[in-house]
Amino acid sequence: MSRPPYFGAKADNRRLRRIIAEDVDWSLHVVPCLSKLCLQSIVRSFEEKPIFEELPPLDRVFVQERLPTSLPLHVTANSVSDGVFWKRCCEQRWDICDPADYGHSWKRMFFERHVENIIELFIPDETEPRAVLEMVPLCKNYVKRLDISQLLPPIKEPEKKEEEEYGPELAGPSMDHFDFNILLKKLTKLEELHLVYRVKQCGMNFERTMFEMTDRDCESLAEALVSCKTLKLLRLHQSNIEDKKCRRLVRNLLDHPSLTELDLSHNVIGDKGAAAIGRLLARNKLETLNMCDNNIRGPGAEAIARALSVNSSLLSLNLRLNRVGDGGGRAIGEALLNNRTLLHLHLGANVVTGPSAVALSKVLVENGTLKSINLSCNNLGVDGGRALQEAMSHNTSVTECDIRLTQIDEQSVSFINKAVWTNQRPSKQQQQQQTANPSV
Amino acid sequence: MEKVDMDPEEESEPALLAENQEPASTVSTQDIEEDPNTQTHEKFNEAPSESQEEVGEESEKLILPQRMINLQRDLTTSVSNNQTAADAKESMRRNELEESRKIRSERLKNNVKSSEKIFQEITTGWSKAKQKVIPQELQEALNNQQQLCAAIIKDKKKLLNDLQQELKVRNDQFVKDLRKQEENLDLTMESFENEIQTLTLSYKEELAHILGVNQQATEVFLTKEQTDWQQRLKLLSDQEHGWLMQWKKTMEECEANVHSQIWATVEKDSNMTELNAASQAQKRKKQKMKAKKEVTALQSAVPEVTPVELRRDLNRMEKRVGSLQKEIKTLRGSSSTQKQEFQKTTLSMSKDHKRSIEKYENVKRRIKHFALADARQYEDMWLTVDEEVRQLADRALAIDSQICELVLGISWERPPMEFMELSGPRRPQEGAGLLHAGGRAPLCGQRTTDLSVGPRAEAGTESRGETARGEGDAEAEEGKISAATLKKVLELLCDKAGFLVENKLLNLLAPLEEEEQTVVKLASLLCTFGLEEEDVPKLAEFLLKYKPQQKDQTEDVCVESGESSVKAEGAETESATHLTSELIDPNHVMPALKVFLEQHLRSRESSARLNEISCDPLDDEAYWERMGNIIPEDRVKLWEPAEKSLKQHLAVLKDISEVVPEIQSLEKENRELRMLLQQHFP
Repeated sequence: MSRPPYFGAKADNRRLRRIIAEDVDWSLHVVPCLSKLCLQSIVRSFEEKPIFEELPPLDRVFVQERLPTSLPLHVTANSVSDGVFWKRCCEQRWDICDPADYGHSWKRMFFERHVENIIELFIPDETEPRAVLEMVPLCKNYVKRLDISQLLPPIKEPEKKEEEEYGPELAGPSMDHFDFNILLKKLTKLEELHLVYRVKQCGMNFERTMFEMTDRDCESLAEALVSCKTLKLLRLHQSNIEDKKCRRLVRNLLDHPSLTELDLSHNVIGDKGAAAIGRLLARNKLETLNMCDNNIRGPGAEAIARALSVNSSLLSLNLRLNRVGDGGGRAIGEALLNNRTLLHLHLGANVVTGPSAVALSKVLVENGTLKSINLSCNNLGVDGGRALQEAMSHNTSVTECDIRLTQIDEQSVSFINKAVWTNQRPSKQQQQQQTANPSV
Repeated sequence: MEKVDMDPEEESEPALLAENQEPASTVSTQDIEEDPNTQTHEKFNEAPSESQEEVGEESEKLILPQRMINLQRDLTTSVSNNQTAADAKESMRRNELEESRKIRSERLKNNVKSSEKIFQEITTGWSKAKQKVIPQELQEALNNQQQLCAAIIKDKKKLLNDLQQELKVRNDQFVKDLRKQEENLDLTMESFENEIQTLTLSYKEELAHILGVNQQATEVFLTKEQTDWQQRLKLLSDQEHGWLMQWKKTMEECEANVHSQIWATVEKDSNMTELNAASQAQKRKKQKMKAKKEVTALQSAVPEVTPVELRRDLNRMEKRVGSLQKEIKTLRGSSSTQKQEFQKTTLSMSKDHKRSIEKYENVKRRIKHFALADARQYEDMWLTVDEEVRQLADRALAIDSQICELVLGISWERPPMEFMELSGPRRPQEGAGLLHAGGRAPLCGQRTTDLSVGPRAEAGTESRGETARGEGDAEAEEGKISAATLKKVLELLCDKAGFLVENKLLNLLAPLEEEEQTVVKLASLLCTFGLEEEDVPKLAEFLLKYKPQQKDQTEDVCVESGESSVKAEGAETESATHLTSELIDPNHVMPALKVFLEQHLRSRESSARLNEISCDPLDDEAYWERMGNIIPEDRVKLWEPAEKSLKQHLAVLKDISEVVPEIQSLEKENRELRMLLQQHFP
């Protein structure tokens, strides 16, 4: 019984002593510096008294390497700067960590993924919104991007499910997802928002409503988007957005101060939604617009084309897998005659045929800014191919021209490809020169 | 209903698969699926061949960039082909859907139209039937109507069945499609893997080929350059060999030269070192001189001094410096000779010095001797003179008494003679002290005791001198004794009176030896007692003899001490043995010490008093004067008339005496005459 305290006392004594003669392996080099001891005590009492910014850089690294990752976030979030500590936190939580995707900032990575996790596991009516709001003051300075890959619907009672089997129309307001209105306006540094209204790994519990954005979701998200003034990129895909919701969102995005990239791919937006997008293009300074895999037809494409003829900021337009048709194709071709900013155009799989090919060949002749054009999976026909071939013989700017599966003559295909390659070479040489010049 | 059902299904399908867009190349029909694949395969087969041709055709320099571009294109196309194929298939599917939708809607429209026609017929039939009154007709009409209704219902049912069948077919097809898609996925995966394998193989081959080509080229270059290198190396080595040989020759020559020079230099070296030393010294002096001269020159010279003058000055200075150096040399030589001489002289001088010291010591000794002799002479003189004087004084006194009694008829009283008692024996004793060189300290005390002995003053001066001498002897002997006993006595004293020594001192003394301790303790004790080193033997003696003193303490201490001193003469031998054995009762040490100190204090006071008297040379004069004036002036005045009368008397007597011879002669003549008378007249 008396031994343990004795040993304790001995240990204490040993700590106090500067030289320990009876220990053969002991040497003065083993004795830690006072500064090291101080730092260790700082690490130990970090939760009570966080001291970090006052330390010199080398000591900060020392502290970062030793701080326990189990410390509560409200202690570390705003006191410990980006560094080894956050790297340890990340690697402890996730297997795959690549800070290159997060601007080489481990802290940013930690907080973004942390918030994403919280939101993805947020169950409406179950988890309290306070859990999310508590994180806001800690992470608002570090979160620049939110890539949310799922949004859980509220849990329904099993009885209700049975009811739903009989009448699925009755399932109305209870299907609303996480309300972004409470979060987005507080994240003052948010620049990118990726959203998918779906449930991952639903398995046999599949329900169509799991993969939909409800009206109220749309309302709240639209309001949230207005409040988020720093947003640059909005990606809202695979969420079953139709015209109504698209218009609702676009109405709130009009005159957004910072939005430059909009991605609404893999939805069911039709012509009315496209018309709204056209309005957005005319009013905002969008640079990239991705509307691939939607249901835009001729009128919608015409609306977008009208906006395109006025717009002077859009660099990339993607209308892949829509039903634009010849009307839309022609309209876009005419619009591009006036546009001098668009660099990339994708009209693949759009039921475009010869007439629009002719219209676009005019563009290729007159427009010197367009760099890549994709017309694949369209039945352009031999005449369209000829027109394009002729146009490409005059063009020097297009470096990519995708005309696969377009029923064009082999001859014209090879000619066009050669023309494109010849265009590629000088541009590449220029690039090489540009890359070589700064080094010289 | 179908539309609503079908659309989301179809839309959701790609939505689900959209995550991995490559596998989205789900092809409904094998024909379309094959097309792109074959195309791609063809392309890939073409591409390498083309590139290989290019490799063969184009120069090697152009291989890399061209190949890189080709590679980039091919690799991206192989991926994007799948996507485009999928897109194409999807668009085709959508086209089909739209067509089927169109067909369906047309069919529905047709159906609606036909049914409307029949419905109109029915309604018209009903209106006709109202007009008809005959029941048979009515029955017919009713039958007709019923038939029409049945036809409509049939139509509708048929349509429904068709649609349902279509739906079933679609459903089955959808399921089949899904399965097919799965299979296709697997197939495409496999094909991808195969492609990757083939591509990697081909690229590896290409790489190997390119490597081989490069290696060959590099080998060719290597062999070329190696031969070149070897040739150049040979050239270089030949050249260097030649140079080396030249160097060797020159080296040998140089070595010979150097050897000869070394010998020469070695010979010179010994001279050189000396010269160097001398030259360095000279240089230093030179510099000093220069500096001095420069300073003086600068001080004296006019600020405007042309360099020419300076040079001239410098030359002059150098000449002067040379001459000065010569002078310095000569001076040095002379200085060395002088030094030697000086050393000789110093030697002789030191010898002289020694001799003189010896002489001086001799002289000292002589002086001492003479001093002693003088003292002895002086003492003798003193004693003789004193005796004479005393005799004279006695005579004078006797004469005085005679004069007084006989001449003047006055009763004579003896004048006071104290001074004779007081100062009489002093001189001879000091002389004795001087005789016993080393001046025994106890003499002083002894003297005081002697002096204090009143009755002994009347004793003869001779005896006194004897006693003094004896005492000195005794004391000398005592000193010898105490050297042995003294130590023990003193140790005892130290032990007993140790408490008087300060603790600090004791602490400090602790590490020292006992003897040293006692010495230091004694010193401190004596200091505290106020005693001097000279008193130490006295003290020891006192302590030794304290015992008898203790017995007759009532007696006068002075006398006691005096007696003790007398006793000491006798008890010399006794004490030597008896005291060493018994020493003193340790218990008596303290009281004895006390007594001694008191006594010492007193004696010192008295001695101080005496010293004051004795030290005065005037005292001697006074002594002698008093001795001279032993007969007072009144008496002398008395003596004057007595002298006069005596002189008269003397004159009378002289006259008488002058007459006496005449008388005597007359008597003689008388006698002779008588004799003659007798002879003549017998």
